[in-house]
Amino acid sequence: MVKLRARCILVGDASVGKSALAQMFRSDGAHFQKNYSMTAGVELVVKSVNIPESSDSVELFIFDSAGKETFVEACEKLWGQPSVLCLVFDVSSEASFRSCSLWLERVRAHCQGLQVPGVLVGNKSDLSSRREVETAVAQEWAQNQGLEYHETSAKEMENCDAPFLSLAQAFYALYQDRLQTIQTLA
Amino acid sequence: MIDAALSSSGTRVVLATSGDENYPPENIIDGNTETFWISTGMFPQEFILRFSDPLKIKLLTIHSYNVKNLKIEKSASSDATDFDTLSEKEFEHTEGHLQANDFSLTGTTATHLRFIITSGYDHFVSVHRVAIEGVYQ
Repeated sequence: MVKLRARCILVGDASVGKSALAQMFRSDGAHFQKNYSMTAGVELVVKSVNIPESSDSVELFIFDSAGKETFVEACEKLWGQPSVLCLVFDVSSEASFRSCSLWLERVRAHCQGLQVPGVLVGNKSDLSSRREVETAVAQEWAQNQGLEYHETSAKEMENCDAPFLSLAQAFYALYQDRLQTIQTLA
Repeated sequence: MIDAALSSSGTRVVLATSGDENYPPENIIDGNTETFWISTGMFPQEFILRFSDPLKIKLLTIHSYNVKNLKIEKSASSDATDFDTLSEKEFEHTEGHLQANDFSLTGTTATHLRFIITSGYDHFVSVHRVAIEGVYQ
């Protein structure tokens, strides 16, 4: 039995629903904040995820980071060396999708060349009539960046756990892979 | 000279910040580089060795993989308190074989040594062996 620990950097433009997503995940869907309250710094959300068909788990330390430009520089100082990345945009905002490459660049600058598993999350999938980013477009971009794509609705409690579970699993797979390498060394 | 860090000489690991039960920290002091302790994510990581008696150290050798920065602290107290920095080193990255690094610590007497890994070349780092040339006081 092993419990891994992963530093999960949660980024994306302001008001795309990063905190809502993190809180839904933390509370198992019990807590959706209806009123918007802007994250000014970094909020830490910690939750353990069990890896299916094993007695192992990954404890995610989610660094829910302010999306507002004014705060970004201060937030970056708290990221440290990221283990995994969760990049969020709002499917009803083309602008928030366009920002994703900048966010990715910012986080990668902290990764020191390490392989960092990541997901792209299109949130607010409930706003179908106001959708500005098609699933296929987001999916293709994610794939080109080596990210796994997920669509969620924090408001409708739709699919909110999936991105985090997939990150935990990817990090666990990385651990298994490294173990194998190290075993062949000695 | 006898390796004073061996568990068979009475040395114990009294703390380790990571634990995969298949790769326990005791593997560091079993005298074997084939067995190892592995960190399980995030930095810093540390482990503390306790000697059966105060140990006058000459040379310390550590076999590891993917460790970048290592800091060694010592305590001369009987209860693992009051640690002072002994040495700090950036290891070179190796691929396909273990890192082997020597620390010449002549004249140091310690009851505990604390190893703090502040960064790595990967998410996970392993420590295979700590060997110490020294004389029990």
